[in-house]
Amino acid sequence: MDPYSFSSSAAMAQQTWELENNIVTMETPQSSESDAIFYYDESAQTKFQQDKPWQNDPHYFKRVKISALALLKMVVHARSGGTIEVMGLMQGKTDGDAIIVMDAFALPVEGTETRVNAQADAYEYMVEYSQTNKQAGRLENVVGWYHSHPGYGCWLSGIDVSTQMLNQQYQEPFLAVVIDPTRTVSAGKVEIGAFRTYPEGYKPSDEPVSEYQTIPLNKIEDFGVHCKQYYSLDVTYFKSSLDCHLLDLLWNKYWVNTLSSSPLLGNGDYVAGQISDLAEKLEQAEGQLSHSRFGPLITPTQRKKEEESQLAKITRDSAKITVEQVHGLMSQVIKDILFNSVRPSHKSQPESSGPEPMVQS
Amino acid sequence: MTSSSSGLTFKLHPLVIVNISDHHTRVRSQSQPPVANGGDATSSSSSSNSLAPRVFGCVIGVQRGRTVEIFNSFELLYDSSSHSLDRSFLEKKQELYKKVFPNFYILGWYSTGADAEDSDMQIHKALMDINESPVYVLLNTVINHAQKDLPVTIFESEMHVIDGIPQLRFVRSSYTIETVEAERISVDHVAHLKPSDGGSAATQLAAHLTGIHSAIKMLNSRIRVLHHYLNAMQKGEIPCENSLLRQVSSLLRRLPAIESEKFQDDFLMEYNDTLLISYLAMFTDCSSTMNDVVDKINIAYERHTRRGGRTTAFI
Repeated sequence: MDPYSFSSSAAMAQQTWELENNIVTMETPQSSESDAIFYYDESAQTKFQQDKPWQNDPHYFKRVKISALALLKMVVHARSGGTIEVMGLMQGKTDGDAIIVMDAFALPVEGTETRVNAQADAYEYMVEYSQTNKQAGRLENVVGWYHSHPGYGCWLSGIDVSTQMLNQQYQEPFLAVVIDPTRTVSAGKVEIGAFRTYPEGYKPSDEPVSEYQTIPLNKIEDFGVHCKQYYSLDVTYFKSSLDCHLLDLLWNKYWVNTLSSSPLLGNGDYVAGQISDLAEKLEQAEGQLSHSRFGPLITPTQRKKEEESQLAKITRDSAKITVEQVHGLMSQVIKDILFNSVRPSHKSQPESSGPEPMVQS
Repeated sequence: MTSSSSGLTFKLHPLVIVNISDHHTRVRSQSQPPVANGGDATSSSSSSNSLAPRVFGCVIGVQRGRTVEIFNSFELLYDSSSHSLDRSFLEKKQELYKKVFPNFYILGWYSTGADAEDSDMQIHKALMDINESPVYVLLNTVINHAQKDLPVTIFESEMHVIDGIPQLRFVRSSYTIETVEAERISVDHVAHLKPSDGGSAATQLAAHLTGIHSAIKMLNSRIRVLHHYLNAMQKGEIPCENSLLRQVSSLLRRLPAIESEKFQDDFLMEYNDTLLISYLAMFTDCSSTMNDVVDKINIAYERHTRRGGRTTAFI
C-alpha cells in the first residue's frame, strides 16, 4: 500500500517502453561531466573562429545541441506570437562539427507573412542585450537566429534562405532554426528544424533524405523553389544535472496539467485550415488524374508515379490530422470517464456517457 | 518562518525554474573549469556545491488582482561589498525586456541557496520602490535525491512587531505551477527525451497514452494516500481532524465534474466531428488505393492501344 511504489512502477514502465523503442539517452545526466558543456572556453572558441574549418566544407556542421532553457524560451516566445511570425537570436558556441545553443532571446521585431527582417532598432537591441548579458555572466556569442512559422511547417522560405546566406557570409558560424508552435501544440511534440544554407552554386553530392512534412498549398511553391539550397541538421537536446533533478520533481506538480490539457480546444482553427488545404490539394490532384485517364500513351510512366505519390501524400496528411484529433478526443473521453461517471446507479439513459458503449464505467 | 497571510496566490511557470537553474550551472562551471580526465569529477562536484556562488536575478510577470503569475526571469549583477543589486543594470535590462514583453512587470527577485538570509532583506527593501511588495524566489541547488518536493520557495515580506520594533520578516507562501500548452510540451520533451521523429502511428499513440497513464498513476497514488489516511482515522489510529474531513468531503462533492445537458451535447458533437474526420481519412485512403488498382488494371489490360508488342514496354 506504499503510495510511492506506484511512481517507481511508472518509472519501470517508462524504461521498458524506452528499451522497446530503442531510445538512447544522448547524455548521461547523472554525471557532472556533462555539465562541462556549460563551460565557455574563450580561447578555444577564438581559435576555432580563426581556423574557420567550415569554409572548405559547406556541409561541415552536422549536428545541433540545444539546451533545455533555449528550447523552452524559443517555444514559449513562438507560441506567444500567435499567428504572427516572431524571431529572435540564439547564443552559444561550437564544438567540432556541432553547434551548441545555450540560450535564446527574443527580438522586438514585427513579422508579416513571409517577411521577417530585423530593422535598425533590432540591431541596437541585439548589441545592448549581448553587452548586458556578458556582464551578467553569459559569455557566449550569438550563434544563430530562430523564427517561427505558425502552422505551416519547419522549412526556410525564399527570404529566409537569402537572409541565412548573407549571415553565413559575414557572421559565421551561424545557424537558422525554425519552430512551428501551432503544430507543436496540435501534435503534442516539438516541431523544430535547424538549417544551414549551401553557398551560391554549390550542388550537394547526395540528396539528403528529410523527414516528410505537409506544406500548405499557398506556400508549397516557395518551399519547392528553395528546398535544395539548404540542408537540415540533427537536433538533440541536453540539460544540466540540476535541470534533470528539477524537472523530475516538477513532474510531481505537473501531472495535473498533463491530465487537464485539452489539445482539441486550442487548435480548432488550425485543424479546420489543414482540412480545407487538404481539400484544395485533393482537387488539384484530381484534375491531374483525370487527364492521365485518357492519355495513357502520352503521359510517360514517370508522370503517373508523381500523381500517385501526390495522392499518397494527401492520404498521409489526412492520416496525420486524424491521428492528432483522435489523440485529443482520447484525452477528453478519459477525463470524462474519470471525473464524470461517478453515479452509475441513477442513469437516466442506458449508456452512462453515451459515446463509450464498450467501456464499463 | 510563519506562512504568509497576505492572501495572494502565486503561480510559477517552469521557465523561471529552468532559467534560475541554468544561471547557477553556468556560474558554477565557469568558476570551476571542468576536469580533463573524469577521475575525481564526483569529489570536485560535491565540494563545488558548497562553494558555489549565489546567483541573483529578477523575476517578471503579471499581477492581476490577487493572483501573481511569474512568467520569466533574467540575471542581475550583485555587488557583494554593498550587499545590493546593481540598479542601473537592472533598469537597462528592464527596458530591453519591456520591448519584447510589454505586459510584464518586475515582480521581485530570485536567488539560490538553502534558506533566506538576513542580508537578503536589504536587497528586498531596495526593490520595494519598484514594486511595493516584491516576492523573493529561492531555489535550493543542492541535489537531494530523497527530496520529493520542488526545492523552490517563494517568500513574501510582512511587517511583524518583534520586541516592540516593527520589522520586516520573510514569510513563506504557497504557489502552484502554471503552464501554457506549448511550455508543457517542451518541458515534457526535454524531461523525458521522447523520440523526436514521427515514428509510426503506434509509437506516437504509445507516447501519448504513456503520458496520460503516468498522470493517472499519480492521481491514483494520491487518492490512495488519502484513502489510507481516512481508513486510519476511522479505525481510530489517528485523531480525527475535522478540517481535513471537510476538505475531503467538499472534494468528493465536486464529482461528477460537469453533468449538464449542454455539456453532453457539446461532447457528443466533438466526438462526432472526430469520427467524421477519421471517416474522411479512411475514404481518402480507400480512393487512393482504388486509384492505384485501377491504374494497374489499365496498364495490364490495355486492349485498344496494342501496337505489336508495345504493351510489354509498360509492364
